[in-house]
Amino acid sequence: MGALEIINFYLVPGIVIGSIYALGAVGITLVFSILRYAHLAHGDLATLGAFLALGAVTLGGVSPYVALPVAMVLTAAAAVMIDKAFYAYLRERPKIVTVMASLGVALMVRAIVQVVWGVDSETYTRGIVRPDVWFGIRLRDRELITIFAMIGLVLALHVFLQQSKWGKAMRAMSDNPDLALLSGVDNKKVVMLTWIIVGGLCAAAGVFLGLNYELKAMMGWTMLLPMFAAAILGGVGRVEGAVLGGLIVGIAEEMSTLFLPTEYKAATAFAILLLMLLVRPTGLLKGKVL
Amino acid sequence: MNKFRTALAATLLGATAMAAPAQADVKIGLLGGVSGPIAAMAPAMIDSARLAVQQVNDNGGILDGEKLVAVIGDSACNPQNGTDAATKAVNIENVVGIVGPHCSGSVLAAANSVTIPAGVTIISPSGTSPEISGLNDNDTVFRTVPSDDFQGRALARTLLLRDTAKVAVAYLNNDYGKGLAESFRDEFEGNGGEIAGFAAHEGEKASYRSNLAELASGGADTLVIFDYGDGSGLTMLRQALENGFFTNFVGGDGMKSDAPIKELGAENLTTFLSSAPVGEKSDSLEMFGKAFAEIGGDPAAIFATTSYDAAFMLALAIEKAGGDKAKVSASLREISNGEGEPIRAGEWAKAKELIAAGTAIDYKGAAGDHNFDDKGDVPGTYALFKVSGDNFEVVTEIQ
Repeated sequence: MGALEIINFYLVPGIVIGSIYALGAVGITLVFSILRYAHLAHGDLATLGAFLALGAVTLGGVSPYVALPVAMVLTAAAAVMIDKAFYAYLRERPKIVTVMASLGVALMVRAIVQVVWGVDSETYTRGIVRPDVWFGIRLRDRELITIFAMIGLVLALHVFLQQSKWGKAMRAMSDNPDLALLSGVDNKKVVMLTWIIVGGLCAAAGVFLGLNYELKAMMGWTMLLPMFAAAILGGVGRVEGAVLGGLIVGIAEEMSTLFLPTEYKAATAFAILLLMLLVRPTGLLKGKVL
Repeated sequence: MNKFRTALAATLLGATAMAAPAQADVKIGLLGGVSGPIAAMAPAMIDSARLAVQQVNDNGGILDGEKLVAVIGDSACNPQNGTDAATKAVNIENVVGIVGPHCSGSVLAAANSVTIPAGVTIISPSGTSPEISGLNDNDTVFRTVPSDDFQGRALARTLLLRDTAKVAVAYLNNDYGKGLAESFRDEFEGNGGEIAGFAAHEGEKASYRSNLAELASGGADTLVIFDYGDGSGLTMLRQALENGFFTNFVGGDGMKSDAPIKELGAENLTTFLSSAPVGEKSDSLEMFGKAFAEIGGDPAAIFATTSYDAAFMLALAIEKAGGDKAKVSASLREISNGEGEPIRAGEWAKAKELIAAGTAIDYKGAAGDHNFDDKGDVPGTYALFKVSGDNFEVVTEIQ
């Protein structure tokens, strides 16, 4: 098997799916470090974002790239409302209660998607897109856009967290919520801000997944495990770690078929997750251990 | 205010009385993959089964003029939901028999853990795995669709006849995909064909490009996909087409779904063939087709005829058994064993009279005669379909 074939059929798909995992994993890592629980509705929130974009595409007749910001805003609003309706009430309880609540939210969000959009596979545009060939490497526009959009969004988030006042407040709360509160950080506003960012990233992950593959009611749920594996692999609380983790998980999944029977591909993310928790629970970039 | 409350309470009470079925109703379960990978096929299957129920109720009802009620459950095309739905139907709804579940995995799980121990007869209109034949079921598991053992072998022979001697096979890693793929491989290799790639894949993944690259590395230009056209089969087909891994595509009955045409476009599917069971031309098929078209259904929808037959036969068996749950399976064999007065689709009033008079009847269904063999299976006829316009069109009958 030639090097080009490995790049075209294993590495490129791995990087594309890895970028999508990365977008989701960044959201998971933020919730993990700032709110301190595993958010199981993350995948279904991504599904919601993807289908909201589909709504914008079918109703407004716009391209999916125009629908992306619309979906990000709407999903961010949905995330804030979900937090206010379900998680805020449980904030003082043991975290496991919120984790379970988020599983319930996941089922509810998915049910809403199924009721509104049905259970059939959908796509933003009908037909198939054959890739362009650049020096033997087969790439589609949408794949390049996915990768660059992921890098752009993560860079923007990084600058925001490092430079802005609110970004610093979020990091402070991630380090120590009580101390942050005493120093005058408004915890409620930080929580809301976190959900706005997480909702937006979720929608982006969902839209890019739908753009590169298909929209299905279960699409987000099946992404949940690889996204968690990516967040933990990178180190909880580390945005750049989540990106690294996402790419590694994506590439490892695709490459696994070179060595393993193809039916074990889905188990790759799980194996990575287990291995990291056993060997290096802080993750590659030294994150938190919760 | 008080008056208002009393009125409200009275209305609510009234509503519960309306909602609860009258004691005399006879309930059957209608378990289908309403959600999950075959969600696109399920509506036609459920509608055609309900047509049978409606015909029973419009023509004198069941037993002493009682109403036949179909309780719908979602088996979601997986073992867990199949078991849950069957448990609810058997233990809570107290059904006399079940039409369904739809997918092989659901059928096996529901039968093993719920319906066989409870002694409830089930008739699956679409569970096609060869495994189902082997269930130790006290003769309570039937199906109106032929086992995939027939389909896999028929498809293999047909491809060889069409001079396709080298293929790669991708199958969904569940009871349906595996059963079909193994029968296919057995027959294809046994008759001199070459399998240049044979791999299972998990459903619902986003990318199958590396799977396809592995399969393509064997050098075959035809890919045989045993998966669902509305699930990962669609994703595979799209990625294989987009990347040019294969030029020809052949699917089993699960791939004969509208989703590939809708999402990929008929113009891209000129090299796509799919096998599926077809009803033999008969009066019964025409009568069903007419009745189903009248209620807005598409008689050509996949498994519509088998679902209808399953429901109609279950009703006949219940009538024959006098509503006794334990006798339903024996009665099911009696109403369709090739001997007796022929009953065609929809002829409920006639059947009811004959059963009352003690005359033997023989149901000739829309999908076939349904004379069950000792494993509760029926033989089948298949056709190979191609995409034409926005629909599937028969290329050739296959045996």
